[in-house]
Amino acid sequence: MIELKNIEKYYANKGVKSYILRHVTTSIKQGEFVSIMGPSGAGKSTLLNILGMLEEPTYGQYEFMGEDVVSLNERKRIELYRNHIGFVFQAYHLIDEMTVAENIEAPLLYKKVPGSERKSRVADILDRFNMVAKSDLFPNQLSGGQQQLVGIARALVAQPSIILADEPTGNLQSTQALQIMDLFKKLNEEEGITIVQVTHSEVNAAYGSRILHLLDGVIKEDVVVQQTV
Amino acid sequence: MFKLNLKIAFRNLLKHKTASLINISGLAIGLAASLLLLLYVQYQWSYDKQFGNSENTYHLMVNFYGTDKSITGTTPQVSNVLPLVLKEESPEIENISRVLWASRRLVANGQNSFKVEGRYADPDLLRIFKFDYLSGNPEKAFDDPNSIVLTETIAKRLFGTVDVLNKTVRFENQANLKVTAVIRDLPPNFTYGFECLTSWKLYENLNGWPAESNWGNYSFFTLLTLKNGTEPNAFNQKIKNTIARNTGTKTLEAAPFVYPLEKYHLYGHFTNGIADGGQIEQVRIFIIPALGILAIACINFMNLSTARSQKRAKEVGIRKTIGASRTSLIMQFLLESFILTIVSVVLAIVLVELFLPAFNGLLNTKLQISYDHPGNWLAVTGLILFTGLIAGSYPAFFLSSFNPVQALKKTIAFKSNFSLSFRQVLVIIQFGFAIVLIVATLILYQQLQYLKNRPLGYDSNALIEMPHEGNLYPKFDLFKDRLLNSGAVTALTQSSGSIAFQNSNTSGLEWHGMRDGDKKISFDLIQTTYDFLKTNNIRLIAGRDFSKGRASDSSALMLSETAVKQMGFKEPLGQQVLFNGKQRPVVGVFADVLWDEPTRTLHPMAIVFNAENSDVITMRLNTTRNVRESIDQITKITKELNPDFPVEIKFVDSLVAEKFEHEQMLSIISNLFAGLSIFVSCLGLFGLSAFSAEQRTKEIGIRKVLGATITGIITLLSVSFVKTVMIAMVLAMPIGYLIMNNWLMQFDYHISIGPAVFILTGVSSILIALFTVSWQAYRAAKSNPVDALKYE
Repeated sequence: MIELKNIEKYYANKGVKSYILRHVTTSIKQGEFVSIMGPSGAGKSTLLNILGMLEEPTYGQYEFMGEDVVSLNERKRIELYRNHIGFVFQAYHLIDEMTVAENIEAPLLYKKVPGSERKSRVADILDRFNMVAKSDLFPNQLSGGQQQLVGIARALVAQPSIILADEPTGNLQSTQALQIMDLFKKLNEEEGITIVQVTHSEVNAAYGSRILHLLDGVIKEDVVVQQTV
Repeated sequence: MFKLNLKIAFRNLLKHKTASLINISGLAIGLAASLLLLLYVQYQWSYDKQFGNSENTYHLMVNFYGTDKSITGTTPQVSNVLPLVLKEESPEIENISRVLWASRRLVANGQNSFKVEGRYADPDLLRIFKFDYLSGNPEKAFDDPNSIVLTETIAKRLFGTVDVLNKTVRFENQANLKVTAVIRDLPPNFTYGFECLTSWKLYENLNGWPAESNWGNYSFFTLLTLKNGTEPNAFNQKIKNTIARNTGTKTLEAAPFVYPLEKYHLYGHFTNGIADGGQIEQVRIFIIPALGILAIACINFMNLSTARSQKRAKEVGIRKTIGASRTSLIMQFLLESFILTIVSVVLAIVLVELFLPAFNGLLNTKLQISYDHPGNWLAVTGLILFTGLIAGSYPAFFLSSFNPVQALKKTIAFKSNFSLSFRQVLVIIQFGFAIVLIVATLILYQQLQYLKNRPLGYDSNALIEMPHEGNLYPKFDLFKDRLLNSGAVTALTQSSGSIAFQNSNTSGLEWHGMRDGDKKISFDLIQTTYDFLKTNNIRLIAGRDFSKGRASDSSALMLSETAVKQMGFKEPLGQQVLFNGKQRPVVGVFADVLWDEPTRTLHPMAIVFNAENSDVITMRLNTTRNVRESIDQITKITKELNPDFPVEIKFVDSLVAEKFEHEQMLSIISNLFAGLSIFVSCLGLFGLSAFSAEQRTKEIGIRKVLGATITGIITLLSVSFVKTVMIAMVLAMPIGYLIMNNWLMQFDYHISIGPAVFILTGVSSILIALFTVSWQAYRAAKSNPVDALKYE
């Protein structure tokens, strides 16, 4: 599903190139649950952003579902991630002025899903996440864990084939964090959604099927996780 | 999406109350000014176009030529015979009608009598303008000279009904006229408006002299329509020599031409034969400040939106990651600005309704919002679209351009130098505009005071006048004696015109020792009998006033100081001056009287003894007695002697005040607009300073922990804003100076602009700006640093 070849990313400052990513080559298959790990400044988030087409690599080749992303125009790219990519952020990034239900509905609106289907999908997902009672609340009326649930619900509602999560549990208490990771695992196993997450936590990484260790912009290790049943 | 965005826009509006309030109040003021402007322009634009066929209606005018064959002057008034000759000679003319200036005419139905605005005109006038007839036939209305056409209101006032065809109206106490038509009231924006119309033939019958052909008396307006397909320029060429041919002059001195009536009101002022403006100047005076305030309000919106952009950046980032395209974001932000604009328009309409009466009083118009007129709604929609786009486009394009990754990381590279300076540029434009208006206001005020303080040459206090009419002609001496004996007045005189404003002049006077060209000197002319100087309290410099004891004084004349100077008299008394074919001795020299507009230079003036030409009786009230009682007494005596006419007493000082009306109006308008523009600009500054204080909360906290004083912090926060205002000042003041200097130059009598205006403007705008921003700065400085720092 994802093919990266020789991805480089650097910022040139006064003639000095400071590299974020170097020679990143890897592929991620449909249905994988990949965790990207590494110390601060290793380039984890940049890699995730490049995967999510929010940033462009300075150099290199990126194919998403067989399409060359680098050469795509803006409109096509928006089309791609409207249909295939869901984002989950460490700081949740809900829109403060929208209620829970409206936040979840927003991606469908951009996707131009018809009204009746929109309503049923939002209702369905609220039900699945046990949040029906909270649908008319605003984000600042929810706890962090609940906000992140809304964030995930919003990412899922458009039925993406891949979820990109940037430290999804970074701001949460450990019990809430575990819930979120359980949810990811379930989504991955039961619905076959590909998940790529950036994390600091070994525990979280253990939920996945594969770990990419990043150091100074280079993939140091690529290990398959032994599932503890 | 639209519905959700709409909801969010409203939530945003409610959440950021200060910003919304600033935006809405600013935009409402700007829009109200613009709506007034639209109404005013529409009013001026539809002048004289209400009665159909206006594109084919022309005004007859005359160009005067100097000795070098260049055009020296243009008049809209022509002789009484020119239109008749033109009609005879030109098959191109469809209809042509002379129209007399409007005057107060006495109409009566039995005891019910009052004065109305009346005009005399030829029957063709009713074919040129298609009035709205309630009854009567325009083709036949003036078949009989003893006919009168009334407007609806006047018919009702006279008879209590509009069903008055063939009823009799006593006109000017001179003739019984039959009502032959009733028309709907004429709109105020019609140059040739009237309340009653009578036939030109009647004018000739009642007065005699207008019936005689006179090529030299340029007194009468003439309107005409040309037959379809007539090219007006070619027609003008054809009629160019009509006057010369008929008067037998060898050189071309006066050439008639036709000018479109549609342009007459707005572009009816001519200089050297070229139309160079008119009422359009008044429209322009209003356009610039009205649009300026709207622009200032739009700038507020732009500035506050972009200043708040850091908050909005996150939303933009999120929306982009969940699939929003840039277009959809632009639409969202535009929607927000449109909602704000629509709310403001509603408020603006309320404001307009509130202030329309005052505005109408000020500009002497009768504007009103007609809600049932689809064109008006179209105009308002246009205004909303225009404002919403102007105000919303910059924020929309700016905000939607954020890169999602940077926006979400909050490290967004705001290109901070650029965007800040762009905001500053906008603030400079706002304040620059406001400062120009303040400079204009101060200079206008100074000029107005200067004009008001200009000596009149007579004492307008306790001076009253009334029309000389009816029985007051034969009984004038009795009238004078009775009033003087009653003690209500101390002096009384008759004259050809009011002392308050210039109403007659003459040239062609001859005297001993005159130079070439002196014959062209134009003299202000007053014709009177005894006690003119005494009544008006005009200072005598040499000689004496006309005196009853000397029979020869009935053909004498007096000259003003300026007249004596211009005529080159060393010893004016006893000189003979030829006026109207009669040699007259100069018996007195009096101090100059300011008769013309107060902005003009003094003209030479001649006061000539002539008992036959009198329109006005002027009286000096006895100041030792109660004014009310004196007026009552005068009214009683006048009514007794002249029962057929209503008594109309006017105070000369209020007539004089009318001469300042235009300057007074400009002064009020500039005051208003300057005040509004500085207010709206300050609203914006207030919003920006609040934002800046909020953004720098952390910095202020740290500085306070490190020991900064409150004053130090206030200075820190205020100084950049004050700097901006100072730049605006430096840029705007020369512009203000140039504009106002240019304006003053059109007057003969004007102030010179001194530095005081600019010092006052500078100090006041800095103080206002400082006051606006320092309140926010003070609030920020007083806050507890712990609150600011604990979240970090």
